[in-house]
Amino acid sequence: MMRMDLGTKLMVSLLAIMIAFMIVTPFLPFYDPYGQNLAGSLVPIGGASFDGRLYLLGSDTLGRDILSRLALAGQVSTLIGLGAVSVSLVVGVFLGLVAGYFRGPLEAAIMGLADLQLSIPRVLLLIAVSAIVGPSVANLALLLGLTSWVSYGRVARGMTLSLREREFVLSARTQGATAAWNIRKHLLPNVLPQMLIVASYEFGQIVVMEASLSYLGLGVQPPLPSWGMMVSEGQSYLALAPHLAILPSIALFIMVAGLQFLSQAFTSEGDVTGAPQRTP
Amino acid sequence: MLNLFLKRITQSVMTVLGVVTAAFFLVRLAGDPAVLNLSAEATAEDIERVRTALGLNRPLLVQYLDFMWRALHGDFGVSLRQNIPAMDLVVERIPATLELALTSFAVGIGLAFVLGVAMRMTPSRTLRQVIMWIALGRQAIPIFSFGLLMILIFSVWLRWLPSLGRGTWAHLVLPALTLGTYELALYLRLINASLASEQRQDYVRTAYAKGQGHIKVLLKHMLPNALLPLVTVAGINLGLLLGGTVVTETVFSWPGVGRLIVESVSQRDFPVIISGVFLISLMFVVINLIVDILYGFLDPRVRAA
Repeated sequence: MMRMDLGTKLMVSLLAIMIAFMIVTPFLPFYDPYGQNLAGSLVPIGGASFDGRLYLLGSDTLGRDILSRLALAGQVSTLIGLGAVSVSLVVGVFLGLVAGYFRGPLEAAIMGLADLQLSIPRVLLLIAVSAIVGPSVANLALLLGLTSWVSYGRVARGMTLSLREREFVLSARTQGATAAWNIRKHLLPNVLPQMLIVASYEFGQIVVMEASLSYLGLGVQPPLPSWGMMVSEGQSYLALAPHLAILPSIALFIMVAGLQFLSQAFTSEGDVTGAPQRTP
Repeated sequence: MLNLFLKRITQSVMTVLGVVTAAFFLVRLAGDPAVLNLSAEATAEDIERVRTALGLNRPLLVQYLDFMWRALHGDFGVSLRQNIPAMDLVVERIPATLELALTSFAVGIGLAFVLGVAMRMTPSRTLRQVIMWIALGRQAIPIFSFGLLMILIFSVWLRWLPSLGRGTWAHLVLPALTLGTYELALYLRLINASLASEQRQDYVRTAYAKGQGHIKVLLKHMLPNALLPLVTVAGINLGLLLGGTVVTETVFSWPGVGRLIVESVSQRDFPVIISGVFLISLMFVVINLIVDILYGFLDPRVRAA
């Protein structure tokens, strides 16, 4: 079992509690993320509307239940995050293994593409592409995935470079194993655990990225809620009803910090997060 | 040294060409520029005429080379909304974005410097942990949430600072604090690690042996060496910073390139979007090049590589 310090335990438990809420809330009797109520606009936390409906976490300008919207937004974010992480994991591992195993011009081309992608700020690339293809949940997952393969690719390539010279790979090769066999049977299983660590870190990054796009109005589109969009809606009522912007922010914080601590607990040390680094 | 220069400059040129190529495909993805330039009532004949006028009936390769040529002159077409060259609109906004980015950069490095030294000098383990916790916590709050928190505290409740716009230094405080602290945890960890590794160097032992005090050794001997990697990483992370300006500018209504891009997206003004993205990427590439070359000057060991 991993060793966790107190802070890690706290954040990870908070994350677990929030995920439990996200799953349970849709089954509660008051669950209604879309229903508007003119008698219950901007109800504070724990307040009730004029027609007597209770809002546990208050309501927004249109009288929609914030708790329900937070839960649904969390599900949407998680779904997009999982989709994007799967896409980037598959693309990144594949390109990284191929680059590391075959070396030569193929490697130069793949790593060149990685460098190029890092030289355009990711938010800008996403804004440009999502402005052009139009944002939808599936597009978002795909776009976020295709723009975040670089971390996986770099780590996978780095590991492959040393793995391919190890005896078990060399011996397989002398016995006539094909490249595809070697990559699938010998390299992939050795690289995968590291990749999952990168994924746990990247998941948080993708949630932030999706929230930022949604905040800018370029991510999840209404009527579907998203934490980023809810913050943006709350910005106009900051003085009047600060909980509109604060509650989704807290949800984002718990999600991102929880994932961050979790991935840090997985890695004892060393930078496998693929933070922007230059290949020489 | 010259070798390093040439290699890095070639790399940068390749990157810029790559960005232009990406921009070309993005423009294609956006749809037929002839259709985008016309109103919805245009006939097929009108579209054909505009296609000829814009040179869209030429072979793709010719169009690509033409696009490249224009791009190298900063010409990404005319704004679909305002009918002036898109690049002019973007260039107008550059000073505001640079002001924000450079101030945030300075705030980030400055805070990391001060807190890093404080963490090194304090004997209190708790204080060190608290500083690190705050930096890590800050990192887990997205820029827009943190920005709104700043507005809520300093503009709405305390009424100390303006919440939006650009003008006086007071307008700059909240945006720079929001953007500059985002990477603080990374910088702090970095400066701690490099201070720890400098601690083991011979020159530090020599300095102590000469009888110099702890503070003097730290500030005069170790810090200049420890700051070098910090500046490099910060330079590389400038991409994150420049990307962060987009969100920060939107939160604080800061009239920079990022906000222009976001506004242009809602107006579907593609030439402006592409010009903005290209220019920010170009800034990023150039600044990185400068940082790398400076690094070669500052650290003789790099030149040999």
